[in-house]
Amino acid sequence: MTAKNELFPGTLDMLILRVLSRGELHGWGITNKLELVSQSALQVDEGSLYPSLYRMEAKGWIEAEWRLTENNRRAKYYRLTRAGRKQLEKEQELWTRMRAIIDLVMQSA
Amino acid sequence: MSLLHRIRTLFRRRDIEAEMAEEMRFHLEQRAADYASDGLPAEEAQLAAQRKFGNLASLQEQARDERGWRWLENFWHDLQLGVRSLRQSPGFTLLAVSALALGIGANTSMFSVLNGVMLKPLPYAHLPQLDRLYRATAQNPEGNISPADFREFQQVKDGYGDAAAYTPERVSLAEPGRPAEMAASARATANLFSLLGVQPQLGRDFRPGEDTPGRDRVVLLSQRTWQSRFAGSPEVVGRSVRIDGEPHVVIGVLPQSFNDWRFLGGVDFFRPLALTPEQTRDRANPLIRLIARRAATVSPEDADRFVAAFGTRLAKEFPAIHAETNWRRVTLQTVAAGPGAAQILPLLIGLSGFVLLIACSNLANLLLARTMTRAREFAVRAALGASRLQLLRPLIAESLLLALAGGVLALVVAHWFRDWAAMRSTGENGEHVDFVVDWAVMTWALAASLATALAFGLAPALFALRLDLNHTLKSGGRGTTGGRGHQRFRQILIIGQFALAMVLLAGAGLFIRGLDALNKRRAGWESHQLVTGMIALPTGTYADAHKIAAFHRLMEERLAALPGVGSVSLSSFTPAFVWPEVRKFIVEGQDRPVAGREPAAVVNRVSPRYFDTYGTRVLSGRSFHERDTASSTRVYLINQAAARGLFGDQNPIGRRLAQVDDDNLRWGEIVGVVTDVQPVVTDDNPFAFQFYLPMAQEPQREFQLTVRAAQVAPAALVDDVRAAMTELDPDLPVSRLQPADTTIYHASYQDRVLRDMLAYFGVLGLALASLGIYGVIARTVAQRTGEFAIRLALGASVRNITRLVLGSGVRLALLGAGVGLLGAIGVTRVLMAAYPRLPTDSGLILVATTLLLVAVALFACWLPARRAGKIDAISALRAE
Repeated sequence: MTAKNELFPGTLDMLILRVLSRGELHGWGITNKLELVSQSALQVDEGSLYPSLYRMEAKGWIEAEWRLTENNRRAKYYRLTRAGRKQLEKEQELWTRMRAIIDLVMQSA
Repeated sequence: MSLLHRIRTLFRRRDIEAEMAEEMRFHLEQRAADYASDGLPAEEAQLAAQRKFGNLASLQEQARDERGWRWLENFWHDLQLGVRSLRQSPGFTLLAVSALALGIGANTSMFSVLNGVMLKPLPYAHLPQLDRLYRATAQNPEGNISPADFREFQQVKDGYGDAAAYTPERVSLAEPGRPAEMAASARATANLFSLLGVQPQLGRDFRPGEDTPGRDRVVLLSQRTWQSRFAGSPEVVGRSVRIDGEPHVVIGVLPQSFNDWRFLGGVDFFRPLALTPEQTRDRANPLIRLIARRAATVSPEDADRFVAAFGTRLAKEFPAIHAETNWRRVTLQTVAAGPGAAQILPLLIGLSGFVLLIACSNLANLLLARTMTRAREFAVRAALGASRLQLLRPLIAESLLLALAGGVLALVVAHWFRDWAAMRSTGENGEHVDFVVDWAVMTWALAASLATALAFGLAPALFALRLDLNHTLKSGGRGTTGGRGHQRFRQILIIGQFALAMVLLAGAGLFIRGLDALNKRRAGWESHQLVTGMIALPTGTYADAHKIAAFHRLMEERLAALPGVGSVSLSSFTPAFVWPEVRKFIVEGQDRPVAGREPAAVVNRVSPRYFDTYGTRVLSGRSFHERDTASSTRVYLINQAAARGLFGDQNPIGRRLAQVDDDNLRWGEIVGVVTDVQPVVTDDNPFAFQFYLPMAQEPQREFQLTVRAAQVAPAALVDDVRAAMTELDPDLPVSRLQPADTTIYHASYQDRVLRDMLAYFGVLGLALASLGIYGVIARTVAQRTGEFAIRLALGASVRNITRLVLGSGVRLALLGAGVGLLGAIGVTRVLMAAYPRLPTDSGLILVATTLLLVAVALFACWLPARRAGKIDAISALRAE
């Protein structure tokens, strides 16, 4: 995984799930949205994005459907499943807890 | 959902690949468009997008990995590779697959026998609750019960469940316009079929109450009889047939599944067991076979206790008959498998397992050799960074393919075997066990193949992994000698093969010789010139003892007058087979033993010429004569063992005997002593005492006819005898009228099947083992060509080289035979236990087997040894 700012390992899935929780998107759309939301601080590499998408699809967290874009182009749209939504909550919670712990250690040690 | 998704992706791989490509193309285009909108020229934008995207192929590869079926795809790939590489070496493949097919085939065939005889459930709905109940005595653990015993059990059966009874009989079946035939019938209580849970496929079952005298003229046909005698006509129900001269109405036909030969399947038809009040009081004659069905609430342990307690009660109430007996329960399924099955079948499975082991070690040897020739390839791949698993996978795939091909062919072998066994194991009445190749058998074959593939494919593969890379690469093209470890591994395999072959051959040899000796043995009698047949006089025509005796005399006269007939005798039994009738006796002038412990003897009723006819010698006293009749004094002849056992050194002639179970003891006088006779059977016969009574004093309805041929071959008499009998009574069938030796030969058919199977295992094992030793020695010779060339160049003679090669092979064979000797002795023990009366001379067999193994090993090694001797030293060394 290479990005302008290195992501913590394992956080890409959570970010993708979060982006998809706002509505369905295709792969390109996810990249754009992540760049936009992070104010270009994060640039997601395609080499990480697609394997991550396929993995989550195989796990049943997201599902995909081929549809036409506004420009009449065929694209694969990903959408969160019920299991995916649960997973997002779980990861978010874990992340919050981890961040608090790490902050605590970094500030008080 | 996720598993479903995965399975779908597996089958839609092509579609998914295309989708993936399209998705990524879309992404690329979008990015290029993005760059273009930033002001880059279209071409440059595209290139930039591609640069950003990275290597498309590697990304797709990574994405594929994520889908999680990677290993399966790889495995499929390995299998395809395996097929290709096996096709490149057809010789190896053929050898390996056929060795496996024979090995697994032998094993699967044996399993199908075990399945057919022991495992396959009998076709009765209530099977788990069904048992046979026996009245066991010291002499007979499977004794039947008397009608009175059955009535006693009926009275208490509510505490147990339910009970039914049957008794087999031989009857004459006659229809107008057709010659009478002897048929196997059985009398059964009206509830037998409902107890078993069997319903007639046509017509109806017996009705309650039809098992009373007067209402019993109804008959249920077996499906087989229905087909063979009544052409499967549905109109048979309601028809009248003549059984023993009496008209009976056919009320139904039993289902085909009931033809199971293991139990009751050999019965042609059933009639109700209608006992007269007088008969139900009979406590002495054990004619009833009792089948009991436990109620669902009665546990097996409770049932055992119930049966034992019932026996104890009877022993207390009727000590004269039931003292020293012990009632026991055996499940019907166990009974059906037959005696000895529990010992012999596991032995056969074990021996066939040995054949499989030999086949497998051949496979291991072949695979090892094959892997070694590819050692360089493995070393190169390992050097290039292939993981152990990656190296191992194609090897496993290859042995899996071989094993599966072998397994499929094994089913073909098992199928052949089934046809062969059905043919060979068919008795005179058409009885045979059906060895169906069913799911259980297929599962066995599959399991055997997979186990083989894993165990014997992995061993050589693991050797390949232990290769020393450096060494292999350095040793160049000849890096195939294999280290000392491989050599030893291969030698151990060969020794093991010969050890197993030794066990197989020695076991087969012992059994075959024993069985042949047994079949030829005629101790105390001889049968060469005899014709025997079985007759059952119908009750209708021959109502009482008087009429039976009169017919006996008439028959003897008529047959004796035929040209070519030396002598004629009638008897209850022939000396060829076990006499099933056991009586207990007391001797006048000796203390009467405790009830139940009286001396027991098997009894045969014979006509005066019996001893002449069978050549059984009368040692002292006289034989029976025509003046011994129903109205004269009862007389006995006893055998030597009884004379010695009962009277020691005293003269038994003139002493008197009486049967214990007679209500009023009738004393009979011993008039002579004859030699002991031994039947031609493998089972242990515990009755040393043999008593004879004159047939005229207890005329028998069912009896054996024996005719001695004088100067002509016995077979030539058969037609004349039959014609004379038809003239006497056209309704009277004589069954199995044929030379005595033919009957004796047929009787041992099951033992002969076993004999043939053992012989087949032995030969197969030897063939596979010699193939194995040939392969290994031939390989060694090929590898040592250089060494032999140097030896030759230094002055060794061709003889020296040949001897060197032969010596190494024979040493292995001898070592194997030595190890196998121990196993062979073990197998002999098991056979001896199952066939206590089998005559054996194990020493001779073991020596002969060892010699045979060494001879075969010599021959197998001689072929490559000859090649070693023919090495042209100069060209071989130049080739280095």
